[in-house]
Amino acid sequence: MDEGELCLLVGPFGVGKSTLLGTVSGLVPHFSGGTLHGTVTVAGRDTRTHRPRELADVVGTVGQDPLAHFVTDTVEDELAYGMESLGLPPDTMRRRVEETLDLLGLAALRERPIATLSGGQQQRVAIGSVLTAHPRVLVLDEPTSALDPAAAEEVLAVLQRLVHDLGTTVLLAEHRLERVVQYADQVVVLPAPGEAPLVDEPAAMMAVSPVHPPVVALGRLAGWSPLPLSVRDARRRAGTLRDRLAPAPAATDESPPAAPGPAAPPAGRAEGLIVRRGRIDALRGVDLTVRPGESVALMGRNGAGKSTLLSAFVGLHEPAAGTVRVGDAVPHRTRPAELLRRLGLVTQEPRDLLYADTVAAECAAADRDGDAPPGTCRALVTGLLPGVADATHPPTHGTCPRGSGSRSRWPSSSPRARR
Amino acid sequence: MWALGLAVAASSTTNPLLLALLVAVAGYVVAVRRTRAPWDRSYGAFVKIALEVIGIRLVFAVFLGSPIPGTRTLFTLPEVPLPHWAEGVWLGGRVTAEGLVFALYDGLKLAALLICVGAANALANPARLLKSLPGALYEAGVAVAVAMTFAPHLVADVQRLRAARRLRGRSDGGLKALLQVGLPILEGALERSVALAAAMDARGYGRTARVPRAVRHTTTALSIGGLLGVCAGTYGLLAAEGAGYALPVLLAGLAAALGGLWLGRAALRAQPLPARPVGRARLAGRRVRGRGGGPDGLGGGSYAPTALRPPAIPLTAPTLPLWPAASVLLGLLPALVAPVPPDAVVRTGPDRRSAPDTRSGGTWRAHRAAATGAGTRPARRPPPARRTRAPNHQRRRPSGDQL
Amino acid sequence: MTGHRPRPGDAPTAGAAANPPRARRQSRPIRLGPRSVAALVLVSAVGVAAFGWPLLADSESGLAHSRDAPWLFAALLPLLLAVVVATIADTGLDAKAIAMLGVLAAAGAALRPLGAGTAGIEPMFFLMVLSGRVLGPGFGFVLGAVAMFASALLTGGVGPWMAFQMLAMGWGSMGAGLLPGPHRLRGRGELALLAAYGALASALYGLIMNLQGWPYISGLGSGISFVPGDPLPENLSRFLAYHLATSLGWDMPRAVLTVVLVLTLGGTILAALRRATRRAAFDAPIAFRPHGSAPRPDRGPPT
Repeated sequence: MDEGELCLLVGPFGVGKSTLLGTVSGLVPHFSGGTLHGTVTVAGRDTRTHRPRELADVVGTVGQDPLAHFVTDTVEDELAYGMESLGLPPDTMRRRVEETLDLLGLAALRERPIATLSGGQQQRVAIGSVLTAHPRVLVLDEPTSALDPAAAEEVLAVLQRLVHDLGTTVLLAEHRLERVVQYADQVVVLPAPGEAPLVDEPAAMMAVSPVHPPVVALGRLAGWSPLPLSVRDARRRAGTLRDRLAPAPAATDESPPAAPGPAAPPAGRAEGLIVRRGRIDALRGVDLTVRPGESVALMGRNGAGKSTLLSAFVGLHEPAAGTVRVGDAVPHRTRPAELLRRLGLVTQEPRDLLYADTVAAECAAADRDGDAPPGTCRALVTGLLPGVADATHPPTHGTCPRGSGSRSRWPSSSPRARR
Repeated sequence: MWALGLAVAASSTTNPLLLALLVAVAGYVVAVRRTRAPWDRSYGAFVKIALEVIGIRLVFAVFLGSPIPGTRTLFTLPEVPLPHWAEGVWLGGRVTAEGLVFALYDGLKLAALLICVGAANALANPARLLKSLPGALYEAGVAVAVAMTFAPHLVADVQRLRAARRLRGRSDGGLKALLQVGLPILEGALERSVALAAAMDARGYGRTARVPRAVRHTTTALSIGGLLGVCAGTYGLLAAEGAGYALPVLLAGLAAALGGLWLGRAALRAQPLPARPVGRARLAGRRVRGRGGGPDGLGGGSYAPTALRPPAIPLTAPTLPLWPAASVLLGLLPALVAPVPPDAVVRTGPDRRSAPDTRSGGTWRAHRAAATGAGTRPARRPPPARRTRAPNHQRRRPSGDQL
Repeated sequence: MTGHRPRPGDAPTAGAAANPPRARRQSRPIRLGPRSVAALVLVSAVGVAAFGWPLLADSESGLAHSRDAPWLFAALLPLLLAVVVATIADTGLDAKAIAMLGVLAAAGAALRPLGAGTAGIEPMFFLMVLSGRVLGPGFGFVLGAVAMFASALLTGGVGPWMAFQMLAMGWGSMGAGLLPGPHRLRGRGELALLAAYGALASALYGLIMNLQGWPYISGLGSGISFVPGDPLPENLSRFLAYHLATSLGWDMPRAVLTVVLVLTLGGTILAALRRATRRAAFDAPIAFRPHGSAPRPDRGPPT
């Protein structure tokens, strides 16, 4: 990698991206064990002879889970921690902390405890905490996988700024390519376990990569060359595509299923719902009617109460005022096993819902919970996730807490087994 | 320090009125200066323990006999003979007023001590304690810091997972739910710990300068030799003949061991982050809270001993000696002087710009403190603190007392 | 960095044949060198004196008659604990051990308030015993001490008894690590051994904590309080009566709860701890080979 380059590492699940990133910081093999064939040199230092802590001033590493990165309590302390082991004079430390706070837009948060920050802010603090050591290379392992799109945007913008303004070299493994692939200077594709990596420019790599953003899929479908890497590129070429598609007949019967008439009883209803969490009114007078067969998308800012509304429907919060009904049942007064027949909720953190040691055991438990015939859940899982063996340990199948579809698809089949 | 002074005062008297005054002083200071930290609830717990101790003492005095000879018998319980091996003990028998009063006074003393400890707990900030650990305990300090950061997350995880159990159609209450929820949390925590270790390693944790061999050997000799000395001294103290030499040997050994501790990592203590210039003005007030107003001036037992230790035999009503009472009231000083911690629970609406992460929110006190926007931690740097230490030193000695 | 690296223990079919027998040995996060062992032994000896001085002190010694003995030991013990923890930490407490120490201490600290009453350490004890068994005596000792300290800080229970609790819990966890067969004994035999040890250890814990508190809690005013200067048998009988009267009501339930928890949850928690230790790769071998010497193995499906 050249200096000041943004290099993107892509590949399907489980192919070894984290391991490859680990070799740059020296964590592989010094921390994890194993055998390294070949050499990795960072800023002239060979990882064979330098342990990770000796590379700390040239390589900064940020992982997916920001909470597993923090050692101290407040933002300022965390930024300073990385410099403590470098033996810098106090004035330099203070100066660097201030610079980093300004660079990452964290100045207003400096005294805040980290546990109270949002995901995007935490990830920025994590980046800042390795940045204060002024590393030459920044290595990030799926930094946005645990973040919602707005926060992901924040973090990627920060990385952009680092590359362009500071000239830091950034090596980034990412799944959400749509926002970042257009800025990459180089893309490394790991096609499959055991195969040699491919290294080239972004457009060329996107043509062969198994993991690609939707706009590249469209480009491949339309046969464009070179492939568009961003929505803007695609839009500029879309004119010819629209012309090509115009004569084709409109797809039949693709309209959404006709909404049932007003006579059908609503599947779920909330009227004047007020939910209090602690001392805060999380929901104030919400009215919502959900008809059978409808798909409803809830949109709102962070902290607007979306999760609270969903939880109220599942009975996790008792309303302070107003009513909420699922069918004809009152959620917070219905026994969980009963409510499960009507309603299932898949949470943000899918691991919360998985208990058993193996896929087979989890399926059996789900069938028991829902009084479904044995094998129902397993069939559903195979439909959603082909190629998952019975003996796999669900929480460890994949490391992405959220973004990797496999684990979030998994729990939805448990409620489905009942209805 | 304030609490230590109060505790020393409490232990030197059994006058119930003085002790009650002490307890009231402690309670007032805690009530005025308490924060919403999780450890703040400990004050209530300590009060309960203190009451239990008094209760236990009274129960013992009533049921298990008292060696205090007394004349005023309150009532007599039937005596229950005990087996041969417990012959020093007897159940039942006479219950005298003197015995009860003696037990009450004694119990009150211990209760007051416990309440002082509780007050210290409620008011002190453990993070500050961790920052002041010597260099050799740095690793252990990091482990404790990690533990204190993780524990609220674990508690929040328990609540989240119990809610998730409902979603799988299982009941979320009861012991069984708790146990089944515990295992995924433990696994998640252990996995996170490995990730944390990797992050620490990659950030340069453990970069230590090479300690020269001479220093290392000296440290070993000092610590092991010191521990040997302490051991010998302790066992000497236990034995009958050792009274003369045991204590000096013990103290010498302790000094050696501590010297080894200090020497071990003296060179490697990381530089703390220097303070922002603004913070210093607040420092003076906070140091006063630590040092000022210690009523260790209850004096030695030489001042009016009967007032300080009202005897149980013969039974007399306790009186309140004035000078000790006044010095106890000095304990109120921190309540007036120290700055109020920014702990007020502010009702903020749901449209705060950065809502707290609901995953780890509720239990951690700083979440509320942060909502007010005020800084919660004082600048804690050694150089500025030393400057303000001198004036406080004089404040510690109220006039007219000998310690 | 819990990455996609191959985990030898997880794939039951492909991995077993390739694993050398050494993979079954439990790695030790903290290795105790001679200096650490010496420090531990010495501090334990002083600890015995600190706990047991009411019974061990000779009737003419100054200690027995001085009213300050509890405070002397309460001040001495934290300093000695600091020295021994620093000594153990000196010989190799790396980032992995510290992180695991912190997390397990957090788990213990979070469990502690669940126990009912003021002596509520019941659920914590069983976790400490299991951790000591899996992670070794050195780690166990430090874990017991750190967990007690962290939980005292978190719940605000700091007091003169804290050092005694730290030492006693450290002993309990260390003892579990010293039980026989750490690498070979598995399954029901191991659970039975741990349950028996847990019951014994929790009863002993209660006993020595009570012994430590006896002089100042029971005071001087009742028939079962400590009488300085009395010969051993009389003091002993008084202490036993005191113990029966006060803490047996807590000790028995605690021992029973520990046994029950070990027998029911012990298997799964031991497996989880062992899995985590394997993944942490405390002792994993590290090797470097020149470029191009790696064979291309036929890798199975991604784990």
